Amino acid sequence: MTIYNFYVFDRNGTCLYYVDWNRRKQSGMSADEEYKLMYGMIFSIKSFVNRISPTDVKDGFMSFKTSQYKLHFFESLSGLKFIMNTDLNVGNIRDNLKQIYSTIYVEYVVKNPNCELDKQITSDLFRTKLDDYIKGLPFFAAKVS
Amino acid sequence: MSRQSARGTDIRKVNGELFTLTYGALVSQLMKDYENDEEVNKQLEKMGYNIGVRLIEDFLARANSNRCNDFRETADIISKVAFKMYLGITPVISNWSPSGDEFSLLIENNPLIDFVELPEGHSSLNYSNILTGVLKGALEMVQMDVDVKFVQDQLKGDNLTELRLKFIKRLEDAIPAGED
Amino acid sequence: MGIFSVYIVNKAGGLIYQYDHNSQRTEIEKTFSYPLELVLKTFDEKVMVAFGERDGIKVGHTVLSINGIPAEGKYLQDRRDILEVLNDETNYPINIKFGRAKLTANEKLMLASMFHSLFAIGCQLSPEQRSSGIELLETDTFKLHCFQTMTGIKFMVITDPKQTAVDIFLKKLYEVYSDFALKNPFYSLDMPIRCELFDNNLQLAIEQAERLGVSNI
Repeated sequence: MTIYNFYVFDRNGTCLYYVDWNRRKQSGMSADEEYKLMYGMIFSIKSFVNRISPTDVKDGFMSFKTSQYKLHFFESLSGLKFIMNTDLNVGNIRDNLKQIYSTIYVEYVVKNPNCELDKQITSDLFRTKLDDYIKGLPFFAAKVS
Repeated sequence: MSRQSARGTDIRKVNGELFTLTYGALVSQLMKDYENDEEVNKQLEKMGYNIGVRLIEDFLARANSNRCNDFRETADIISKVAFKMYLGITPVISNWSPSGDEFSLLIENNPLIDFVELPEGHSSLNYSNILTGVLKGALEMVQMDVDVKFVQDQLKGDNLTELRLKFIKRLEDAIPAGED
Repeated sequence: MGIFSVYIVNKAGGLIYQYDHNSQRTEIEKTFSYPLELVLKTFDEKVMVAFGERDGIKVGHTVLSINGIPAEGKYLQDRRDILEVLNDETNYPINIKFGRAKLTANEKLMLASMFHSLFAIGCQLSPEQRSSGIELLETDTFKLHCFQTMTGIKFMVITDPKQTAVDIFLKKLYEVYSDFALKNPFYSLDMPIRCELFDNNLQLAIEQAERLGVSNI
């Protein structure tokens, strides 16, 4: 199993953080364009799900799979969006994304008065804590040939 | 590491009086700096707003509540969970407007005003105005545009402190550039 | 339960077939006095609850009828503007029926082409080589399974999250499509499918899949 990459967006569509570990394909566009496309896709999926759902939605969109990867999505009530791409064998990891939000983002960004909430996260503390957390996950494998 | 393990089982408590005194020092300094009650109110609200937009994330991370789809639910959570968690009090919810978009929080034992006597000539100062900012900032982050103001203040001789919250509108997520 | 609906989308993103199976939608009727305790807004040309919940009426429900007069978009059938009617105190007490609106044919077309582009973006943003587009989309209320043939036709099936064996159903659907649409000499490629035999066989396949999906649980 493996984790490819991870995005955090605020509710204005700003990409607050991006990091990748075992990514094997680039999207062929600049990072900014890729963030915009990712946010746009998530935004459209949410609206698509709300409309096409046969019954009232609560959490709404949770994940999707293609033939090669699985995208996991968690949104806090304040509109922060956490997106993680993994391989197909990873199950439901909403709780992990929630944990990144509540024990890493809230602790090391929200409570750090030097971090502006609507700007890219540059805090080293946040970066190391996140990296430690991800690398400690059972479904994180450093190198798969 | 110590910061992370502190979550949830946090037993370090700040002395309440230290908190009250700190807030008092802040307000009195603002009054010296601005010499104008309206301006002080504004500054307090601004500070509160900045606290609110951060505090809400802490609240959501801890309280594990669901999205409110009704203002009555919001009122309950503000009073019974949020005020309880951060100020140790549970304001009474009352005076609902007929259309259910406005209510009051009645506070009898506002911890911010212990030891406070307003000096003469400051009748338009809302000493605890930081609360309005905190509420506004926090609610805005959960997509609610709400107007918050003081209606009664114990410091001005009223029997209790009353905060009035009015629901204005639901805020939507930003639409990505180039889409409708 | 089981399978909610089936969409078939051609390679240009056009919807060529759509079928709703078991659509039971909740409807709630209630008499209100002035003022209305719900915040309404217009969304997608419908009047929708934006905030406030009462007696099973939920955020996202639309106004279906007022005093028995059905709604058509933002207006009632008698051409009165719904929001104006609801803002006028003299119209109260008033009886309003709320519910999740049925998708109109136009909205279905729009959603199909929306998914068509999402499918492509999902492929473009892949962190791994040679990825397909979105094949399975999971939400708390439904799952969307999508199967794209080598020729670019997409079969989309919306199911209950617990429905199993949808892969088999998708293959079956492809067979039905090639047997009763493609092999029909009067069917023109990429155009909407209007064949009775196709309808009947699709119906059979759905029933079979639901039996299979249930027995597997």
